[in-house]
Order: sequence, then C-alpha cells, then structure tokens
Amino acid sequence: MSIEPIIETRGLGFSYVDGTQALVDVTISIPKGKRIAFLGPNGSGKTTLFLHFNGLMRPDRGKIFFDGREVSYKHHRLLELRKQVGIIFQDPETQLFSSSVKQEISFGPINLGLSRNDVEERVKKAMDDTGIADLKNKPTHFLSYGQKKRVAIADILAMEPRVLVCDEPTAWLDKKHEGQIMRLLDEINSDGITVIMSTHDVDIAYSWADYIFVMNKGSVIGEGTPEQIFYDLKLLEEAELERPWLLDIYDDLSNKGFLNRDNPPKTKDELLLNLANCVRGT
Amino acid sequence: MLKIDQYAYINRIADMHPIEKSILALATMVICLAFSAPLTSVLVILFMAVLSILVAGIPARFYLKLMSLPLFFLVTGVLTVALNFTTTSPDSFLWGFRIGRYWFGATGVSLALAGNLFLKALGAVSCLYFLSLTTSMLEIFAMLKKLRLPPLFIELMSLVYRFIFVLLETTDRIYISQASRWGYANIKNTYRSLGQLVTNLFTKSHHNSQMLFTTLMSRCYQGELNVLENSYTLSKRNLLMITFVETALLVTGLWSCGYIRFL
Ligand SMILES: Nc1ncnc2c1ncn2[C@@H]1O[C@H](COP(=O)(O)OP(=O)(O)O)[C@@H](O)[C@H]1O
Ligand SMILES: [Mg+2]
Repeated sequence: MSIEPIIETRGLGFSYVDGTQALVDVTISIPKGKRIAFLGPNGSGKTTLFLHFNGLMRPDRGKIFFDGREVSYKHHRLLELRKQVGIIFQDPETQLFSSSVKQEISFGPINLGLSRNDVEERVKKAMDDTGIADLKNKPTHFLSYGQKKRVAIADILAMEPRVLVCDEPTAWLDKKHEGQIMRLLDEINSDGITVIMSTHDVDIAYSWADYIFVMNKGSVIGEGTPEQIFYDLKLLEEAELERPWLLDIYDDLSNKGFLNRDNPPKTKDELLLNLANCVRGT
Repeated sequence: MLKIDQYAYINRIADMHPIEKSILALATMVICLAFSAPLTSVLVILFMAVLSILVAGIPARFYLKLMSLPLFFLVTGVLTVALNFTTTSPDSFLWGFRIGRYWFGATGVSLALAGNLFLKALGAVSCLYFLSLTTSMLEIFAMLKKLRLPPLFIELMSLVYRFIFVLLETTDRIYISQASRWGYANIKNTYRSLGQLVTNLFTKSHHNSQMLFTTLMSRCYQGELNVLENSYTLSKRNLLMITFVETALLVTGLWSCGYIRFL
C-alpha cells in the first residue's frame, strides 16, 4: 500500500520466559487511518504483537516505528507513545479497575495531566460516543458483558489516541452486540483514527477490514486487501482459515451465472442487491 | 450481602450527601449506645426502620429479614446476662430451676438489664443497616478521601471492592462448569472439585492482577489511581433536620435516664 504507515515493525522477535516463541521475524507496515484486521487462530501471537505496539512489551529482536520514529523505551517517550496508541484488552473484567463507570473512564485523561474541566468533557464525549451515557451512575458490577466492553472502549477513547488497538473486540458477544461494536469501530475510524483489531472470525475480517494481516504460529504469513486474502486459496489452507460465507455464495452463484460479476459483496445487503438486479435482468 | 450492595445504589436517598447519611447513622448510634434507656433504643429502632423502609424505599420484608439475622447472636448473648446462678436461697428469682447444688434463674434486675442490652444492640445494628442500605461503597470511599485517609489505603479498598465481584463471577462460572460435569455429584467428587475451584481461583486472580497492571500501564499509570471525584453538596435543610432529630433523641435519652426533668 502506498499510504504512509503509522506503525511499522522490522524483524520483530519475542519469546516468553518459558521459551514459547510468540513472535518470529514480524515485518509489517500498518497504513494510517485504515481499518486493519489481524486474522489468525488462538495462540498465533496477535495479543503479543499488540502489546508491542505501545511499548507494553519490549521485543527480543527487531525494531518498531511509530509515525516514522523508532520506539524508545525511555519513561516519558513511552507515556507519549501510550497516549497515541490505545489498547482495548480482550477481557473487560481485567481492564475495568473502578466500580464507578465515570471514574473508570476518567483515569486515562487524568494521567495525561488535563484539567478537571477537560477531563469531564472527555469523559462525557467518550460516553456519548460509545452510547453508555445512561450508565453514568451505575456501578461497574451492575453492567452486562457487552456494556463493560463499551466502557473499556470509552476508557481508551477518552485519551483521544491516534491508533486504537482492539484485541478480539467481538469475543463472547452475541450477533447483535457484535454488530454494535463493529459499527462503533467504524464510527471511530471515520474520525480519522487508525483502528486495528484481532479476530479469528473470517466473516468479520472480510466485511469490515480495509487491509488484513494473516498470522500463524507467531509469523505474519500473508497480507493484503480482503479480496486478495480470500482469493489466495493456498494462503487460506496454510493458515487453516475458512472462506467468508458471502464469498463462497458469491463465487458459486456467479460461476453458475446467477449473479453479476462486478465486485464481490461486502455485506449481505450487497449480495441481495446483486441478486435482485440479476433477476430483474439489469 | 450482595442485595445490600444493590440497594445501596438504587434506594431513594442514594444521592443524599454521604456525610449527611453517615452523621445521621453514627450520631443516632452513639446516642443509642450512650443511654441505657429502653425508650431511646425503641425510638432509634423505629426511627431507623421508618427511614430505611418509608424514606429510602427498602422493601419491608427484606428489612425485617436483615434485622432477624443478628437475632440468634443477640438472644444467646442476652440469655447469659439474664440468667443468674446461686447456691443459696433462690428467693430473688422470679423464675428458676435447679441443677445439682446450683440454682439458675432470672431476677427482675437481670431481666431488665438483658432487655435493655437487647434493645440497645438492635438499635445500633439498625443504624448500621441504614448506612449500608443507603450508602454505596463508592460514596464511602469518596467520604474517606474527604476525611484525608491515605490514598493508598483507599485505592486498595476500592480495588478489593471491585475485584470481589470479579472473583464472585469467576467462582460462579467455574462452579457451573464443574457442576454440569458431575463435579458435585457425590462427596468424593465434591472434595476434588472444591480443591480445583480454589486452585483455579488463585491462578486466575494472579493472572488478573498481572493483566490489570498491564492495562493500567497502557493508560499511563504512574503509581497513583487518580480519578474524577464526585462533588456532592451538603444540603442545609437536611443538616437542620438531622440536628433537630438528634437533639430530640438526645433530650429523650437524658430525660429517661433522669438527667433532666421537665416541670
Ligand atoms: N504470559 C505468557 N507466558 C508464556 N507463554 C505465553 C504467554 N502469553 C501467551 N503465550 C504464548 O504465546 C503464544 C502467542 O499467544 P498470544 O499472543 O496470546 O496469541 P493470540 O492472541 O493470537 O491468541 C501462544 O503460544 C501462547 O501460548
Ligand atoms: Mg489473544
């Protein structure tokens, strides 16, 4: 991609103390302002890689660049990096430390040294943006799992990062809440924030992402637009990935001549529209 | 216990200033404990019941159930005060029985003392119930901060409070998954499952604490859990009412103990 990268890694390698090689020679370049998905089975190293993006982990080998500048592990530079790159962790239970939703969200902005008024404003905006304004006075332990997930997102939004990293944002959510979270991530992205997420759900990655990295056993084994990835059958086999159901149906029906061969549909509605047009003979 | 926590957030006087509620509860409790006057104790019990049930809107049945919880301890405690024993003449006993050489029984004085003690304890308990039913832990923490307790102390308390619920939920999940696989079908399974439950909880908690630290670091944690404090404002009206009620209780107490006389 020709777009300027926001995060780059070169030859990144990391092993846990027990010897597990979690990252092996990862060299990637994440385009600015896009929707990025990291696709890979459990244990492929997505979380470990994400923790490197804002300096929570330090690589054994290789380098990381943020906005063209090499990541430094000096105290004040790390704080600066963490202000720009926010991570939403997979399990909101471990991220939410306060029993008050409002106080929880205020933690990040206060650490940035903002004035009380600015903090109040940011908290309010983050709550409005994530649709949790009505939970303001509820204690954290009254919330449902989906609501906690939103609070976790608001936590980070309130710090106004340039990159939002979401680790498995749709894990353990039902279809309805999954849709809500994905729309929320879309809205966040439309404000110019680069949104990076990990998932093992090919349908979500295909429909949502502008650009996909495929991971397996600690390596990035493929990257490209959703079309490039899901028409690369060899890659899919190597990564043990299914194909998105939309693409399967589209390919099958268009091969039989029941669908127009324009662009592969990204949503169910696009597929149905194509079908309707085809039946009408346009 | 968890129900008390829920009512603390949803009761009708949840937004009353926590300091007002604390003064009300604690001052009433001190008056109740200071005077050995059944009248004061009964007034306190009734007053707190009215506040909790009618004003705060706690369901009467739940309130009565709570009040009955300490009854067992109260009754056993009070019995030992009411019962006297002697080896000589049991004349002063209103009622009594004999075991071997000993006479056991209750005198008028000991009965009065026991009744007094019983009412006093129940009154004090109802004050504490009022506070815990109407004031959430969050408000208590805010108040302790106002009272300038060390921040580290309050941070620890609030983390403990938050993670009690995480721990409970985890326990629940592990328990259900064990029970659905016959983990508690017989005594032997039960012992084994309980053992696993406890070890699992320990490793989970350890993992949680490490994750928590990582997530805090990710949000620029620098050693202090600073958060926005809620600002409450004291209400003159409430304070006046509290002063009035407490004065009335105080006067009743003094009067029933004979310290003051009305002509
Ligand atoms: N704290 C840890 N200690 C040791 N090994 C770990 C730890 N966390 C993860 N791993 C291992 O590192 C590998 C990558 O894990 P992870 O980054 O969590 O993958 P993913 O997020 O894609 O599921 C896995 O083999 C996992 O078992
Ligand atoms: Mg993971």
